[in-house]
Amino acid sequence: MFSIIFLKELKEIIQSSRFTISFAVCSVLIILSFVMGAQNYLSSKAQYEAALQENRNQIAANTNWISVNHTIMLPPQPLMALVSGVSNDVGRDIEMRGRGELRADNTRFNDEPIFAIFRFMDLEFIFGVILSLFAIIFAYDAINGEKIRGTLKLCFSNSLPRASYIGGKLAGSFVGLSIALMIPILIGCLLLPVLGVNLTSEEWGKLSLILLSGLAYFGVFLGIAMTISATTKLPSSSFLICLVIWIAGVLIVPRASVLVSGRLVEVPNVDEIAAQKSRYRAQLWTEDQPKLSNFSVPEGTPMQEVFPKFNAFMSELSDERQKKIDAFEQRLNEDYQNKNLSRQRLALGISRISPTSLFTLAITNLSGTSLELENRYKEESAKYQTTYASFMEEKTGQSGGGGIRMVFRTNDDNQEPPPTLDPNEMPAFEFESASLAEGLSGSMLDLGLLFLLNIIFFGTAFSAFLRYDLR
Amino acid sequence: MNMEAINQTPLMEARNLSKVYEDGVRALDELNLIVKPGEIFSMLGGNGAGKTTTINIFLDFIQPSSGNAFINGIDANEQPLEAKKHVAFVSENVQLYPNFTAMQNIDFFTRLGGRSDYNRNDYEAALTRVGLQSSAFDKKLKDFSKGMRQKCGIAIAILKDSPAILLDEPTSGLDPKAGREFTKLIGELRDEGKGILMSTHDVFRAKEISDHVGILNNGVLVTHRTRSELTGVNLEELYVEYMAGYMDESTATLTNDLDHV
Repeated sequence: MFSIIFLKELKEIIQSSRFTISFAVCSVLIILSFVMGAQNYLSSKAQYEAALQENRNQIAANTNWISVNHTIMLPPQPLMALVSGVSNDVGRDIEMRGRGELRADNTRFNDEPIFAIFRFMDLEFIFGVILSLFAIIFAYDAINGEKIRGTLKLCFSNSLPRASYIGGKLAGSFVGLSIALMIPILIGCLLLPVLGVNLTSEEWGKLSLILLSGLAYFGVFLGIAMTISATTKLPSSSFLICLVIWIAGVLIVPRASVLVSGRLVEVPNVDEIAAQKSRYRAQLWTEDQPKLSNFSVPEGTPMQEVFPKFNAFMSELSDERQKKIDAFEQRLNEDYQNKNLSRQRLALGISRISPTSLFTLAITNLSGTSLELENRYKEESAKYQTTYASFMEEKTGQSGGGGIRMVFRTNDDNQEPPPTLDPNEMPAFEFESASLAEGLSGSMLDLGLLFLLNIIFFGTAFSAFLRYDLR
Repeated sequence: MNMEAINQTPLMEARNLSKVYEDGVRALDELNLIVKPGEIFSMLGGNGAGKTTTINIFLDFIQPSSGNAFINGIDANEQPLEAKKHVAFVSENVQLYPNFTAMQNIDFFTRLGGRSDYNRNDYEAALTRVGLQSSAFDKKLKDFSKGMRQKCGIAIAILKDSPAILLDEPTSGLDPKAGREFTKLIGELRDEGKGILMSTHDVFRAKEISDHVGILNNGVLVTHRTRSELTGVNLEELYVEYMAGYMDESTATLTNDLDHV
């Protein structure tokens, strides 16, 4: 009986005009998102490579490492184009210094603010907004619609167990609708290498898990719609209830969670912190200024020796000042980060009421575009900062941390011009994106909750139907 | 009436069947009726008389408050899955699945009825028998008229080949021609030995085809006549009088004995 109902449901879905329309819309959107994603990735990659080359050219044009302004950049990843997450909000460029706090600038939204308004049409948007709505459109009248049509009574005039019916219907709907998703997704996946985006096996693994999360998310809304359909008499009522749940789950809860957590946990303003840091730096500099008069050299010291001594003196002052600044900023940053983390945790906790949040958190973790991306980039750049500082120390005798330097140059027309720098000497910045295992462990909670919600809503639909008035 | 039916086991039987809904409405009150093989039992009555409640109890869609409903000797509420193997059902407004063709609908419901041994020829034969044009076999039901859908419903019942058939106001909304064809078909099924319990508002068709006619009013079977008892009786008048609740059964009998159609 289960298989008869399952096959009927599958056929009924595939032959319906709803399916034709949603399949067409899904196909266009999904394939478009893959194509656009691939193109975005390729253009970001080209920009990234051009910027790298520019960096190298700039080094090669210099004769002194002290004059080099070195910038590191966040390399684009193919999965960022499919699930953008926070990747467009994170500053991509960091001007490297041998010491002090690093700051990432130039988010994608700086370059293209229009995207900040309308955002991207990536898999997160297509699954999160459009496909969840399709799930509701398909299933809101799954049970009460059959009752209104009279087919429910006709089905149960046969020796058909209710469990077989609802089981077959749930499974048939899920599989039927998954077909509408999987075909264009498969085409999109096949298009990636054709368009020049070659994913590694890890990235394919991540993409598969992202799609699995999408199906689990889709299943939650299907289960919700089935449950509502099995507890209401009229399709119009169930549609209205489903729509309200969809609006709350998809549009309101994720945003409200941020607002509520913002009210409950006070976090100092970023500008306020920046002003505090700036004030402290200015204060220390003012305190250091009288010390400058302490610099002296014995009379008759040749100028060539004066400058290095001055630089060493300034460097010493600067190092001491920087230590104080670092300690102060570290305190401020820690305080800010702790409070921000509490607020973030609260917001995420509240938002997890919504399946959309669970889905977003799961897939951004898998694609490496979650909130962790910024921390990871900071950590990686901080690690690189040490390497960079050692390199600059070796090349210039200073860490490359900025400050006042004096350079003594003599001009001799007959002298050979100094050799230009070799860019290959500069240590390369390698950004290591989250591995599959890291992505999976980061998304485990949300994936688990999504699967749990599937079980809950399919279970409630099942039990609601067992008590459903068939007349 | 098929005389052989008299001594046979009832295909459908309501024994002291009562139903009181949660809001206190008594929909059925001590209903007793028997449908034997080769018999058509028509239940006449207005809206809320208890006809559909009786059918719903036979199909286990609702539980009786007291009494029992049997299909082929099996308690329909205690062993519903077993009981429903022996009954086919045609509802008042057969809708079926609008995106399925007639063939697909028939195939699905026939399989659901436990028959997977049929092929397309069998389906075509059943649809032809109920009078559906062959050009409509592979058309989607959403393009069908009510009469055509009703024919599909009957074809499904025929293919299930169960001894008992429940019909819930099957001729309601059908045009006279379709109604007549339907009546003829029901007669054929009765002649094949099926026991048919039918709820209807259609007094004329009930009199024309039924072996038994019962009139229900407020859940009570106020009168029950056999075909021979109905000969010469103005059933419409009898029905109207019972529905109005003017008469008790003895007075009605007397009055109707004096009336001749």
